[in-house]
Amino acid sequence: MTSDMSESELKERVQLIESMIFEGRRTTESWGWSFLFWGVAYYVAIGWTAWTHYGLAWLITMVSASLLMWAIVKSKTKKPEVKKPDTTVGRAIFSIWIAMGISMSVLLTAMGFSGRFNAQMFVAVVGAMLGTSNAASGMILRWKAQFACALVWWAAAAAACFATVDQSTVVFLVAIFFCQIVFGAYAMSCEARARRQGALHA
Amino acid sequence: MPELPELNPIIHGKLRLALLSLLAGVEEAEFTWLRSRTGSTDGNLGAQLTKLEEAGYVAVEKKFVQRKPQTIYRISENGRCALSEYVQALKLLLGGAMGN
Repeated sequence: MTSDMSESELKERVQLIESMIFEGRRTTESWGWSFLFWGVAYYVAIGWTAWTHYGLAWLITMVSASLLMWAIVKSKTKKPEVKKPDTTVGRAIFSIWIAMGISMSVLLTAMGFSGRFNAQMFVAVVGAMLGTSNAASGMILRWKAQFACALVWWAAAAAACFATVDQSTVVFLVAIFFCQIVFGAYAMSCEARARRQGALHA
Repeated sequence: MPELPELNPIIHGKLRLALLSLLAGVEEAEFTWLRSRTGSTDGNLGAQLTKLEEAGYVAVEKKFVQRKPQTIYRISENGRCALSEYVQALKLLLGGAMGN
């Protein structure tokens, strides 16, 4: 099996292995848009609350955003001709974000209805949870940019504990801008680049 | 001079190597996805997957989802080891080839 193999044939086999493994793992990607989506949703909720002081603005915006996101994901995966396979990494990251979303919904809703709720505590809780999820995803993907987002969220959470209502709102707006809007756009550009490279690979 | 390693003939076929590498990157995959990634015909793909299954390198599961038949493939522990050994052997051969 080895005597008639040239160096170029051996290299061809190595390239084949690399490209096929890349092809399999590529299916976990393409979630950058969701960071942008939630960043915009947070801004809508903040803006709505600031303008109208409507107590249920956050709850309504978050529930609507969750339903809209579910619909978008459903339409993207609706009866595809070829179903993409799951990867362990993809499932791990999906689990982290779903668990975070449920924790945040339960806790913030309970805090809201119990009346034990203020802006500083809200930013601290949301910042800590988003920091945890970003850090876990960043470590799984070995993605420094996402881990940097976790640091920003944790810093925002800590700062909110010492800040006034206005200061914690500004901290929250800044963290959303960097960790959702800027990072989301960056993630989308990385995914687009990976898709182009994948096309070249094929 | 050290003896050059032999390449596993079951994995060495291009399509079988592509299939095992694809399955190494995912938890499990449907027949249709493997076909779309390799561009192979149903007959050839089925034959090569059967060879990998007979060698114990892939596990097969047939089931019905919404009344449609689905064939799911996943790489076995033996398959993962065999692919790893194949890559090691390739590295050694390429090291030898580059040294010449």
